[in-house]
Parts: sequence; C-alpha cells; structure tokens
Amino acid sequence: MTHAAINDGELLRTALVGDVTSPVLGVNPYDVTADGVPFVPVGAGGICYTVAAGSPAAGWAADQVEPGASIANPDAAANEALLLHACVGNGVAVRTGAAAGTRGVVTGKHEAFHAYKHVLVHLERDALEAVVPGDRFVVHAMGRGMNVPELPELTCHSLGPELWAAWSPELVNERLRALVTRVLAPEVVGMGSGRVSGATSVALQSGADAALDGLRIGDLVAVRDWDATYYTGYHEDRVTIGVVATGDSPVLGNGAATTILLSGPATAFDLVADEGANLARLLDL
Amino acid sequence: MSAPRTNADRLVEIGVQAEVAHPTHSGTYAVDSYGRPIILPGMAGVVANARVGDLVFPWAADHLEPGVSAGNAQRDRYQALQFLACIGNVVRVVTGPAAGAEGRVTGKHAFVLVDFPQDALDILAPGDVLLVRAIGQGLRFLDFDDVAARSCSPALLDGMDVEVTDDNRLRVKIAAEVPAFMMGAGLGMSSEWANCDVMFTRREVIERLGFERVRLGDVVAMHDQDHRYGRGYRAGMLAIGVVAHGGHGGIPGHGMGVATILSGPRARFELVHADGANIRNHLSLAA
Repeated sequence: MTHAAINDGELLRTALVGDVTSPVLGVNPYDVTADGVPFVPVGAGGICYTVAAGSPAAGWAADQVEPGASIANPDAAANEALLLHACVGNGVAVRTGAAAGTRGVVTGKHEAFHAYKHVLVHLERDALEAVVPGDRFVVHAMGRGMNVPELPELTCHSLGPELWAAWSPELVNERLRALVTRVLAPEVVGMGSGRVSGATSVALQSGADAALDGLRIGDLVAVRDWDATYYTGYHEDRVTIGVVATGDSPVLGNGAATTILLSGPATAFDLVADEGANLARLLDL
Repeated sequence: MSAPRTNADRLVEIGVQAEVAHPTHSGTYAVDSYGRPIILPGMAGVVANARVGDLVFPWAADHLEPGVSAGNAQRDRYQALQFLACIGNVVRVVTGPAAGAEGRVTGKHAFVLVDFPQDALDILAPGDVLLVRAIGQGLRFLDFDDVAARSCSPALLDGMDVEVTDDNRLRVKIAAEVPAFMMGAGLGMSSEWANCDVMFTRREVIERLGFERVRLGDVVAMHDQDHRYGRGYRAGMLAIGVVAHGGHGGIPGHGMGVATILSGPRARFELVHADGANIRNHLSLAA
C-alpha cells in the first residue's frame, strides 16, 4: 500500500487575481422555492461570516451560501481563467486592504446560471473580519494538468496538489483508495449537468438521495454513474468525486454547489466512506 | 370523460416580435461524449431538412433545432419572447420573400422553435422578421389546482385531446417515459425557460433505454420530476413535455431537449402510450 503519486514535477504555479465581490440582485428580488413560495436569495457574493467548511450544508435561511470570501476577476475572460486555474487547496494572498499580507485557501468554486462565477476563499477569523468587497486577492494556482501517472484513466479537475497531499489517497491493487463522506446516486446532480468540468460547480438536489442527509460544506462526495472527464453528465460505470462548496438551495433542481475534483471509471476507485473527508479537517482550516 | 376545464377564455394574446436567429460560434471545439472534438451544426438559423415528426437521433448535429430558431437581438425583448411564447402559438413571417407564411411554435431551447410549411422553410433566412401570437402563460386547470401548465397554448391542450377520467385524473397520451437519472442540463432553470435535456449523447444508452424511434415533437412523460416552479428532482411528481431538439453524439450532460408543458403529482395523471402522441398531429402542422 503506497500513497498515489501525481505528476507534481510538471505542474506550474501561476498567479491569478480576484477581487472580493459584493452580492448582486435584480430590480425584482424574488426567486421561487420548489413549493412556489417567493423568497429573496441570500448568501452568494461578498463575505459570509456565518458559515465555513465543516458547517452543515442545509438549514440556512439562504440560497447556496458561499462560505468565507467570494472573489472574481472583474474582466469576464480573466475570470474564466481564474475559475479554470484556481484549484481547491491552493494558497491565496490578500494583496490590498486592511487584511493585506494575510493568507487564505481556495475551498471551492461556484456558478449561478447567467449570473456570476466565484472562487471561494477561506480566511482566518481576523482576516475575514477585516476584508471588504474590492480587496484584491492573488491566487497561487496549481493543479490544472495534474494527473496520476499510475492511473492514467483518471482526470483531475480543480484539485490542488495541497489537497491531494492532505487527502493522500492510496494505490491498492491498481485502484485509488480514497476517502469520501458518501457515495451518491446519479439523479442527485441537478443544475450544472453539461457544464465544463473544470471551471465551477454542479448542484446536488436535496431530496434526490437520502445519503445527502447531514451533508456539510467541505465534504468530499462521490457520485456514481457520473462522468466529468470534459463535461459533466450521466455515464454508467464511471465515478466523479467533488467537494461541497456552498450550502443548500430551496430552488428546484438546485442544491449544494459541488466543485469537481476527480473523475474516472468505477473500476479505478476503491471508495471508503469516512466522515473525516472534509476540507476543515484535511486542510486544518 | 370530458376535456378538463381551464381558464383559456381569460388568457390574453400578445403580438411579440422575433427574428430568425443567425448561428454563432465560439471558434473552438466542443467535446462529445466519446472524448472527440466536435464542431456540429444544429443551433439557430434555419434547419430546412429536419422537422417536427422526424426521428430525433440519426443526424450529424448537436442540439438540433428543427425548422426555424427565433430570437430577438435585444436582451429584454428576447427574455419576453422566451417566456411568453407557448407551444402551439401561431407565427407569421413579416419580412423577406416568405412574408405572409404561417407557422407554429413547436418547442423552446435557447431560441423559440417554429415549424413552417416546407416551401417557406426553403426560402426563410436569418434576419427575417417574425410575429409570434403569444398566448398560454397563465393557463390553469380549474379542477386540478396541483397541476401546472407551462408554455402550453390552449391550442396544444385541445390538440392533445387530454381528458378527465372517471377517477378524476388527467389522461395524457405519450410516446415515451423518461427516468429521472437521465435528466440533465435544464434542471434548476425556470419551468418556462428553454427545456431540459435528456442525456442521450451516446448511442449505447439510447439503445439500452429503447429510445431509437423517438421523434421530434413527441409528447413524453418525465418521472420524479417537478417542473411547476423551476425544474428538478422530486419523488412522486411528474412532468410532461414536448421533444424540442435532438441530435446525438453531443456534449455530455446535454442531449435530447424536452420543453415542459405540464407538471403535477404522478397520481393526478393517467398515462396512455399512443403512436401518434406527437405535436405534428396535435397541431396539424402543414407539410
């Protein structure tokens, strides 16, 4: 039994810029719940002081609440690059503002259809209290192009080498023995099906699988019969692993936004259910 | 048995401007479900040789929109067109050599999809102005509070020959039944917006689930789907839709698009498989 190696000697470390966002709303603020009840969506964009990796995904008066600081690049094309290159576990430096000089960690990425695309950054408490919208962060991006040489059928997405080292999956009988909090049925995937795998997130529809009960932000989860090699979609006998980036949603077809980490044939995985497979513990947040 | 009572006589009909959309392209390849780079036609413009009633799959196309794809260059007008247009609405060509030709809305995707008679399809071109006679949003069943109608014109409901059974359910003729795990892109969006893709992007899945003969315009049932206020998974709910766009070998997570027309508890419906459950018949579309 050995820790599975990655091609770390080949990976570039690059700097990308994102600014702390502020929430956006239309003139009509109402969204509609699954039961047809109007509500004002709260939780995406800006800074959230209330929830963090390790918090429950459900139970907030919110719609896909983003933990910590939510950043984006104000230039749309540069934001696409930021979203594609930033990987979960990557280090972040606060460049401007009252918290300048402090450091954070990328915990996920989140997209709302036709609205915004954000990278989510965990900061220590003092820094979180000090940052404001507009503060500039630098993401030290690393992980795009990552692979597992001994399992070339696996595709890595948004998986930083820092998280890989902390997660430390093992090679056992030519399979990747990996800890996840739960394995989910394919019908849990809602909004985000058909998206490019590397950039943002897919939603886990609450109610579609009892195994979603007790889900926490930061949980590593696997979805069976689901592929994310290039785009996300149903594919029997394949498995996709992601990390829960946001809280749950009251909107039909939505739910906890989950950022893709790894995908490949089911036969390449030996998944072990372990509640410890959460970013709060793995990255000591 | 009788037709369900509705508020159709209280609906207003609005003239909405649209135009035949021009195809656009990002300049890069997409990737199909076999990992191959693809550039395939199908979206926007005029597809003159694939029409409602034709098979969904045997086309070298991605997101194949049969007939005419209607949009509007102004964003707010485009949104109004997307939400107000209902399947079965009458569309008239206003400008160009096909001016005066009359068609019907047959589906929704990124554009509103319109079928015209073949002689009009042969001469229609991007930029031609259209008028959509939008009627149907706001349609309600007076005796079925828990069943929602979305993008369903009164003309389509009449043509579908929906009936109320003796045990007070809506009898709907369908061509196929879709399991929830196949529902993909379109989940999480508004019920009236575009459609929801059934992830038929690989031939082996189409064959395994027996969908080789499904046709553009077929009325299909989607299980464990709640499409009343948005679209998503919900055990025990049902959505009825119209196959709006086709093509296989497409992008993973996408596939055959089904535009929502009805949704409610499964128990409120009696599903009847019928060969002719296609809007080409229901709307008596011209050849």
